[in-house]
Amino acid sequence: MELIVSLAIGILAGSGIWLLLRPRTFQVIIGLSLLSYAVNLFIFGMGRLRVGAPPVLDPAAAGDISRYADPLPQALVLTAIVISFAMTALFLVVLLASRGLTRSDHVDGREGGS
Amino acid sequence: MADDAVLLSLIIALPFVGSLLAALLPANARNAEAWLAGLITVGILIIAAILWPKVAEPAVVRAQFEWLPEYGLNFVLRLDGFAWLFVLMIAGIGLLVVLYARYYMSPEDPVPRFFSFLLAFMGAMLGVVLSGNLIQIVLFWELTSLFSFLLIAYWHHSQSARDGARIALTVTAAGGLSLLAGMLLLGHIVGSYDLDVVLASGQKIVAHPLYLAALILVALGALTKSAQFPFHFWLPRAMAAPTPVSAYLHSATMVKAGVFLLARLWPAMAGHEYWFWVLAPVGVATLVIGAFLALFQQDLKGLLAYSTISHLGLITLLLGLGSPLAAVAAIFHIMNHATFKASLFMAAGIIDHEAGTRDVRRLGGLYRAMPITATLAMVAAASMAGVPLLNGFLSKEMFFAETIEYHVDTALDHLLPYIATVAGMFSVGYSLRLIHQVFFGPPATDLPHKPHDPVIWMLLPVGLLVLICLLVGIVPAQTVGGVLAVAVESVLRGQTPSYSLAVWHGFTPALLMSLVATAGGIVIYLSMLRYLSGNIEGAPLLRELKGKRLFERAIVFLSWRWAKGLEQVVSTARLQPQMRLLIGVTIMLALWSFYIRPVSLAPGSVQGADLEFMLVWLVGAACALGAAYQAKYHRLAAVILTGGTGLAVCLTFAWFSAPDLALTQLLVEVVTTVLLLLGLRWLPKRIEGISSETILSARLRRFRDLTIAVGGGAGLALLSYLVMTWPLTGSISSNFLERAYTEGGGRNVVNVLLVDFRGFDTLGEIAVLGVVAITVYALLRRFRPARDSVGLPEQKKFQNLYDADIQGSGKDPISAHYLLVPGLIMRLLFPVIAMMAVFLFMRGHDLPGGGFVAGLTFAIAFILQYMAGGARWVEARLRILPVRWIGVGLLAAALTGAGAWLFGRPFLTTAFAYVEVPVLGKLPLASALLFDFGVVALVLGATVLVLIALAHQSLRVYRAAAAARTTSTTGGRN
Amino acid sequence: MNWHDHLVIAPIILPLIAGATMLLFDGRDRTVAAALNLVSTFGLLAIAITLVMGSAGPDPAAAVKVYRLGDWPAQFGIVLVVDRLSSMMLLLTAILACAALIFSLARWHSSGSYFHPLFQFLLMGLNGAFLTGDLFNLFVFFEVLLAASYGLALHGSGHARVRAGLHYIAVNLVAALVFLVGVSMVYGAAGTLNMADLAARIGSLPARERALLETGTSILGVAFLVKAAAWPLGFWLPGTYAAASAPVAALFSVMTKVGIYAILRIGFLLAGPEAAAGSAQFGDVWLLAAGAATILFAMVGMLASQDLAKLASFSVVVSSGTMLAVLGTNDVAIIGPALYYLVSSTLAIGAFFLLIELIERGRAPTDDILAVTLEAYGMEDEEEPGEDGEAGVAVPAILAVLGAAFIISALLLSGLPPLSGFVAKFAILAGALGRNDPSTLTGVAPAAWVLLVLLLLSGFVTLIAMVRAGIRSFWAVIEREVPRVRVIELAPVAVLLLLCLTLTLQAGPAMRFMQTTASGLHGSAAYIQGVLGPTAASTGGKP
Repeated sequence: MELIVSLAIGILAGSGIWLLLRPRTFQVIIGLSLLSYAVNLFIFGMGRLRVGAPPVLDPAAAGDISRYADPLPQALVLTAIVISFAMTALFLVVLLASRGLTRSDHVDGREGGS
Repeated sequence: MADDAVLLSLIIALPFVGSLLAALLPANARNAEAWLAGLITVGILIIAAILWPKVAEPAVVRAQFEWLPEYGLNFVLRLDGFAWLFVLMIAGIGLLVVLYARYYMSPEDPVPRFFSFLLAFMGAMLGVVLSGNLIQIVLFWELTSLFSFLLIAYWHHSQSARDGARIALTVTAAGGLSLLAGMLLLGHIVGSYDLDVVLASGQKIVAHPLYLAALILVALGALTKSAQFPFHFWLPRAMAAPTPVSAYLHSATMVKAGVFLLARLWPAMAGHEYWFWVLAPVGVATLVIGAFLALFQQDLKGLLAYSTISHLGLITLLLGLGSPLAAVAAIFHIMNHATFKASLFMAAGIIDHEAGTRDVRRLGGLYRAMPITATLAMVAAASMAGVPLLNGFLSKEMFFAETIEYHVDTALDHLLPYIATVAGMFSVGYSLRLIHQVFFGPPATDLPHKPHDPVIWMLLPVGLLVLICLLVGIVPAQTVGGVLAVAVESVLRGQTPSYSLAVWHGFTPALLMSLVATAGGIVIYLSMLRYLSGNIEGAPLLRELKGKRLFERAIVFLSWRWAKGLEQVVSTARLQPQMRLLIGVTIMLALWSFYIRPVSLAPGSVQGADLEFMLVWLVGAACALGAAYQAKYHRLAAVILTGGTGLAVCLTFAWFSAPDLALTQLLVEVVTTVLLLLGLRWLPKRIEGISSETILSARLRRFRDLTIAVGGGAGLALLSYLVMTWPLTGSISSNFLERAYTEGGGRNVVNVLLVDFRGFDTLGEIAVLGVVAITVYALLRRFRPARDSVGLPEQKKFQNLYDADIQGSGKDPISAHYLLVPGLIMRLLFPVIAMMAVFLFMRGHDLPGGGFVAGLTFAIAFILQYMAGGARWVEARLRILPVRWIGVGLLAAALTGAGAWLFGRPFLTTAFAYVEVPVLGKLPLASALLFDFGVVALVLGATVLVLIALAHQSLRVYRAAAAARTTSTTGGRN
Repeated sequence: MNWHDHLVIAPIILPLIAGATMLLFDGRDRTVAAALNLVSTFGLLAIAITLVMGSAGPDPAAAVKVYRLGDWPAQFGIVLVVDRLSSMMLLLTAILACAALIFSLARWHSSGSYFHPLFQFLLMGLNGAFLTGDLFNLFVFFEVLLAASYGLALHGSGHARVRAGLHYIAVNLVAALVFLVGVSMVYGAAGTLNMADLAARIGSLPARERALLETGTSILGVAFLVKAAAWPLGFWLPGTYAAASAPVAALFSVMTKVGIYAILRIGFLLAGPEAAAGSAQFGDVWLLAAGAATILFAMVGMLASQDLAKLASFSVVVSSGTMLAVLGTNDVAIIGPALYYLVSSTLAIGAFFLLIELIERGRAPTDDILAVTLEAYGMEDEEEPGEDGEAGVAVPAILAVLGAAFIISALLLSGLPPLSGFVAKFAILAGALGRNDPSTLTGVAPAAWVLLVLLLLSGFVTLIAMVRAGIRSFWAVIEREVPRVRVIELAPVAVLLLLCLTLTLQAGPAMRFMQTTASGLHGSAAYIQGVLGPTAASTGGKP
């Protein structure tokens, strides 16, 4: 299981980074969202993986970490998701503005070396 | 002692205070300014006089003020004989310069600036000579550089003044920095920056391995300041300053600071032959080159400038010789040079003023026109040449006598007498030239003004100085004997040799040298006469050697071209290299920390793989790679594929028992996709095919990027694998599980974390969301689409064409029932989804859901309306003001948190109770719920705001199009 | 717990509430927003002063004040921690904020929507980053301040801003992701996010966890270095700062210090005596190298920069490079002077950014070109000195004032005597040279030599660049129109410079405060005690 998840993280991160290094603003924004998926999975994995644990607390067995998925990384991931959502929106608008002002969708605002 | 302290502080304080006052006087207050400056200098002289008895004992007058004691930096004022001598020169000549300047500066000159800078400079100079702490010396040292810069650039409308000032500052300030380094090293060696301590520990310094380094650094400071070869070039350029400034800076003050420092540190540093080797050669070179160049200057002030350089070389040489007697000669010559050089500069200024030019070739026969000036100038020049019965003669005799002595057994030492004689010849030569070509010969005809003697007040300073030259020259012992003795003693501290200031020592070798020098000088001058009156600028041989030009070229080269070139190398303005570096550095650092602390890659416990899950990620990975591949040409495809990946992530969360994450991920996915789709419309078309694939360099770039990408991906994968396969011990999470229900009042631990344990994170997170939303809104208000994307999209055009065709043919146009059925459904769905949102919100604390999810759900309801009705339709019916919602949300959350204050608890402390609600059942009514409401409001507001802002842009097109149509029709009509 | 305990969180909540309230009013009407902003910002100043007073005591343990949010025990709630360092940074931020705000009221705040809310949220983010004692919470506040800074950097829109902004945002978004990876690794390895708890645990961690933890921290380091604009991660800075509007840039000059602060804080916590010897030297060499490279890069940039704004931006880079280099020497004796330098340089740069705007105002864009050509021409001509013009030109009062201010900031930035810039550099060097290193023949540690060269050289280069720029903007063009400058624009500059002057005159006491701050940092026992120890429970205050 772990292997699959880490491979998934690797592939997402890899394709995300690849896009970050591309010259078109749109490629960069897609890259950002792919990379943030990878990072979210990564954070999630830091709490270790657990299949089939009860989603919510059973008051009887409170506190037994071995019976539940680690909640803390989940909380972190939720925050991370929200923030990266916000940032994606912002970057989208900025790239539109830059496209509007510079008439180009190149990350440097002017065509040039790829 | 206290009153002494006060007096000492006054010496420093007066000039600076005066400078402030002078700056505030009106621009035309020449007399007031002069009086102010004059009175201040007089005051300083009086104080000096009062302190003289104590100094003459000889004792050291000290005043200390704490400044930065931990680092041995205190403000120490220290007056001994040597310092006293300098105070006398600075203030005395300062007074004369002030008087002179009053009549020299023209009425329309803005004199406040002049006098203010002059006084400030005087203060800085006094600070240098009175400092009792090495660092404090540096401090005032740099101040002299600064204020001399301002003085030289006084006429800053002239290019040459600006250049001269800049060069002077650059050179001397650089020297100052190296001086600072030297002083720091001295402090390191001695263990204290206090001058007295340093002077007392000469042995220790000389013995230390850092001695040479310290010596060179200090020497660099002193030599740059005293315009020694090869740093001499700034001084002639500084002649662009008004003549009073030159008279002050280049006789008694600025340039003397360097030699002052050397003399000051003589007891501490001279006790090693390195001292000789660093200073003597420079001194010799400067002495000769200066004298030689001086002979060939056509500008009167230029001539004086080079002679100053040469005389400073003489002093440096004397100090460099390292013998006590030489030091005496040096100190004596410092005084003498100050007197005659100051008077000569003033005379030159008078001539410039009256005759309108300073070009030696154009001047001539001025003796008749201005006899007094001429006489005074001639005496001063004679003193400069070293004619007997003038003070210049005495110190030069001492110098000659000293050169014959034996110091360090080397060729240089043996050659010294001859070199000295040659230099003497040249100095006689240029003095002679000054006298002869300016005052005698045929009267000049083509002068700008009719020359005549100036007002008595302008002559007075010159006269006084010349008088001193004579007195000292005739009866030295009675006039300066005492002062000199005290000064010498305070420098040499006990090593004072026996010396005599008699005019006549009998027929000594030194006298012989003087005679030879005089004779030779006359010969040289006569032989060079024709060459000199020619039009050739500068000296033979050395004409090409222009330190200033080289320097400026160097500076400009370094600071413009070179720097610009280098900037391209060490930095980049492009984004891609920055990204590459960022990711590259991250990978490097991670690898490095693994390298210094190796870890076994052996995985720990692993859970068995699951086929369905594998399938999920086969698809997910395929989507990711597809998106990466398609993002350039098929943006729509890329967006869809990214969504696919998002779903895979969402499934993963669900798989590993994190329903909240799955839910949130799903909703965020939807909204993000919609946003991207809205954005696509404004991006330019991209034509498939022709691109840089074929070019090799492009291929290489791609390959490099690919490696980085693979490396980064592999790295992250490896890290996650290492962590995930290793059990986490001692995590704080168990606490959450324990307390979530009992103390947090909720069974959905994640939600409790978000609104309670780590509610502060959530507060920050929604703040981010809100901020981003208003930023987007502010930015889009000014959005101007690129021209090529203003036109209608293709599909729309087709549709319009079709509508146009079928017009009147009974059929409805397409736009009539665009999305008719789905639109209806979507509108009907609005309340349903809203209910759903409420439900998710209420149950959040116990079951998957919560404020954020609820907010997004609600927002999606709005998105649907946009899809169904279009921007116009919704904006016409939109009843909520998103920005306000953001504000309300933030306030609700913050105030809920602050509510805890009322109960004397920290921010965000929660209280909860369960209540029975009809439909929904048993509900936890925690104060966290109120907090969560804030979250809902904000998320809803922010998301809707962004959507509106983006969707609204599509209306611009219609407006633009409409505008275009009207113009075209009007154009068609007429 | 009484109101005084709640003061700790006020620097975050006050701007939050102020900013949120502004949003309830129409964004186009600025009077209300401006008023709120003034109240809140000056309130922050007052609070910061109180906090500094509270932490100024001699005993480092007493200086640490802890605020446990939600009243949860420190390990698993989020805690805010005020000690000397954080309170000092709060004060610095507040001062700059006041100056920038006053300045902006003259004109800038009306050149785009939502200036005031964004301003407040930026302050919230900065203060939060300085206060929090929790790694992930630090991330959140980084995001808050970044988000606001994006908005402010784009404030006024326009071609240059948007283009620079795009780079700024892109780089920092990636940096944020890097930050996340680092934080989560720290959690995955050590099982906690609380800094003090982390510092307490690090010693007892088994080898594998320890290795992973340090990998995590070094990844974190990258994120901080990006914020601190260290070479080669800081190329986004000059463009962005130079393009930003004057007050915003002035406020940004404290933003790079957040990165420095984080490195200081976390570096010391993880490398403090509580940590095993293994990580004492962790990353120092890298820091020194990065600092040196940063300074050199900034020097080149300064020499190559044409306009004043670029010059100012690069002096920001110099100052953070210097800080990094000093931290890299791992010499506790000079952390105090370094902090003094941090304060002085930040104030000076802030003042300079504001000043530039006033200087440039009176000048036609063509002046620069004209001046450059003049300079080039001056290279070639051999005019007789003093030949032209026997009478100088009178300088209008306002220009004289601006000129004086320019000279002062030039002295401050280049570290020339007699102002605080010099005191700072001297103290750093004296400290570095003062410590006798027995291992070397001369008794001077290699790192000390590096510092000596870097500081003096950067000072000299700054001087050259400043003199050139100053001559060009004040002297080269005679018939320049006198800029119309309002008092509320000149006052902030004056105040900031006066503060630097006070720092100079009161160097002794100031330096002592910094030294105790540094010692408090180094003995991080006090911090850990304060957060986790019994003292925490009492200050936590269950009634």
